[in-house]
Amino acid sequence: MMDFVSNLGFGFAVALTLKNIGLCFIGCIVGTLVGILPGVGPIATIAMLLPITFGLDPVGALIMLAGIYYGAQYGGSTTAILVNIPGEATAVVTTLDGHQMAKQGRAGVALGIAAIGSFVAGTFATLTIAALAKPLTGLALVFGPSEYFALMLMGLVLAVVLAHGSVLKAIAMILVGILLSTVGVDIETGQDRMTLGLDFLYDGIDFAVLAMGVFGIAEILRNLDNVETRDVVRQTIGRLLPGKEDFKQSAMPIARGTIIGSILGILPGNGAVLAPFASYSLEKKLAKNPSRFGKGAIEGVAGPESANNSGAQTSFIPLLTLGIPPNAVMALMVGAMTIHGIVPGPLVMTNTPDLFWGMIASMWVGNLMLLIINLPMIGMWVRLLKVPYQLMFPAILMFCCIGIFSINSEPVQVIVIAVFGLVGYSISKLGFEPAPLLLGFVLGRLMEENFRRALLMSRGDMMTFIASPISATLLLIAVVVLVVSFMPSLRKSRDEVFTE
Amino acid sequence: MTSQNSATRPTGRIRSPQNVAGGVVLLLLALFAIWLTIDLPRGTLNSVGPAMLPQAIAALIGICGIALLISGLTKPSDYEEAIWTLRGPLLVTCSIVIFALTIKPMHFGNLDTPELGLVISGPLAIIIGGYASPEARLRDLVLLALALTPFCMVLFGDMLNLPIPILPRFVGQNLLAGISYKTALRVTAAVMFGIAVILYLTTRGSSASLQVAKHDEVK
Repeated sequence: MMDFVSNLGFGFAVALTLKNIGLCFIGCIVGTLVGILPGVGPIATIAMLLPITFGLDPVGALIMLAGIYYGAQYGGSTTAILVNIPGEATAVVTTLDGHQMAKQGRAGVALGIAAIGSFVAGTFATLTIAALAKPLTGLALVFGPSEYFALMLMGLVLAVVLAHGSVLKAIAMILVGILLSTVGVDIETGQDRMTLGLDFLYDGIDFAVLAMGVFGIAEILRNLDNVETRDVVRQTIGRLLPGKEDFKQSAMPIARGTIIGSILGILPGNGAVLAPFASYSLEKKLAKNPSRFGKGAIEGVAGPESANNSGAQTSFIPLLTLGIPPNAVMALMVGAMTIHGIVPGPLVMTNTPDLFWGMIASMWVGNLMLLIINLPMIGMWVRLLKVPYQLMFPAILMFCCIGIFSINSEPVQVIVIAVFGLVGYSISKLGFEPAPLLLGFVLGRLMEENFRRALLMSRGDMMTFIASPISATLLLIAVVVLVVSFMPSLRKSRDEVFTE
Repeated sequence: MTSQNSATRPTGRIRSPQNVAGGVVLLLLALFAIWLTIDLPRGTLNSVGPAMLPQAIAALIGICGIALLISGLTKPSDYEEAIWTLRGPLLVTCSIVIFALTIKPMHFGNLDTPELGLVISGPLAIIIGGYASPEARLRDLVLLALALTPFCMVLFGDMLNLPIPILPRFVGQNLLAGISYKTALRVTAAVMFGIAVILYLTTRGSSASLQVAKHDEVK
């Protein structure tokens, strides 16, 4: 317990230096700004803004990137409430009741409760991370290659189950992601694989380039196809502070959402995506009068928003303790850490405690900032929403180009984002989702490494994966989840969760 | 809801063209990956070779492709068939490629592309890319290009010192004595921004009304 307090205290000492507060502030503002713009999610934002952090020290860089991340999450829900367009996937649920509230002239209250709920959730998640970090890091030390492999496999299986639409298509996308990750020089033998003789593929495909292509550029292409129906709320925003009755109604949903989000966020395989959906269905089931949902029920905003935020934050746990990025945003964080010479994993805490605890403390600082800064600035954000898309996307396009070019000054990489943009556009037209592909790519390289290492240690004995109880359990969970996900009854209820 | 549509669609026996196409693409990808790694050693479980995992994954992708193909032939898909367009992808791709070709020299055999720097590539990317939207208007795009490019030049080139070429190489090399690269950058940025302001003020009447009208439509 004393440890916990002193560690957090140490973290705050790092996070509360003037420079780091400033960086956190810039990160939050920039993140909110880009998050509010429909069609630019956190992944594209971070990939675009990665170069800005090159000149900073590692602690400052990661604090700023984390600020961009939850700023973008927050901005996404503002767009969801005011425009009825989810700024990103997890804000879909918020559009249901949030936008209805806005139409009834209660936009301010919806934004207010979203911010307050997010702050409560963020505080709880910060404490959870601080409390769980040490024991989980200890766990990481007993993990060998076969356990790591099993854990990642389970993560990928969970990602399949959590993805929208067809299970088969999600599996295919994950496999394609893994295949793409094997492009480049083989680490152990030094032979080049599938490089087509192209120089820039020897080091493999850069994650930022892939993410920018299939998320940033492909998103622009998809948006251009949809005739724009931007339904910016005409009514005044109204007062921001929720009333007594509102607080009473949303207190429990916020608490439940926070806990659901925190638990799902820890799961490898992007469990955080499910958090707002789970919270929304739970609130609807618990409500005395479920018919209010979809017509502006405040619980339908408070719960999912809290779940979203706590899930977003606890998804740092697998990254910081095990070195396994649970989703695409965290994979970009890996990229950022590697650029600054930090290898994510259990050693971060012991080797660079200032980075580890400073970043955790800065999450709370960032959440507080979002609450204080953004509510008064809401008028400015609304005006931003009125920028027509035909002017916004060329700007995004140029920022993407500059961002990717700056990563390694290679014009070829810029062309590659165009290629991946077309790939991303085509696969979504064929009914595939790009998110599992990215996750497969992220985990693919780590999985191959651990797979080969495990076999090397066991002298080619496949039984090594079920010899250890930990990896056997993880693999068993993976198999069970996969089998269950193909069963028709579960598929139906899964689809219901997503279409609700 | 598309099940009825696809039943009445004149595609004959193919129930979901989207899934059939998806299956074929996966299958081709799997074959391509296997063909690329055919010469690499697969190794044994004892010492896994570089080709083992890619080929195993490719085989699995192929199986998924076949499954999807079969389901596409027999079952209608749950999704609406997508509409493909050409204008957006074509112009956005052009815009990105032109940015890449003009920002820094690239060598294709004995052909080199020029280094024109952000001052040229930025506006080119914005204006060409902007036409991907059918609602694009030249005046707005030029204004955007003239305002955003100097902003990026100052932010990335001056303040953040990123190694991104800002001015064309021949300008950079032939700067008059006494003017540093940074000064030239700032002057160029200021001039561009000035032009943007003048352009905005002089052409305001013609399109301001249009933009307002557009917002009112969206009620």
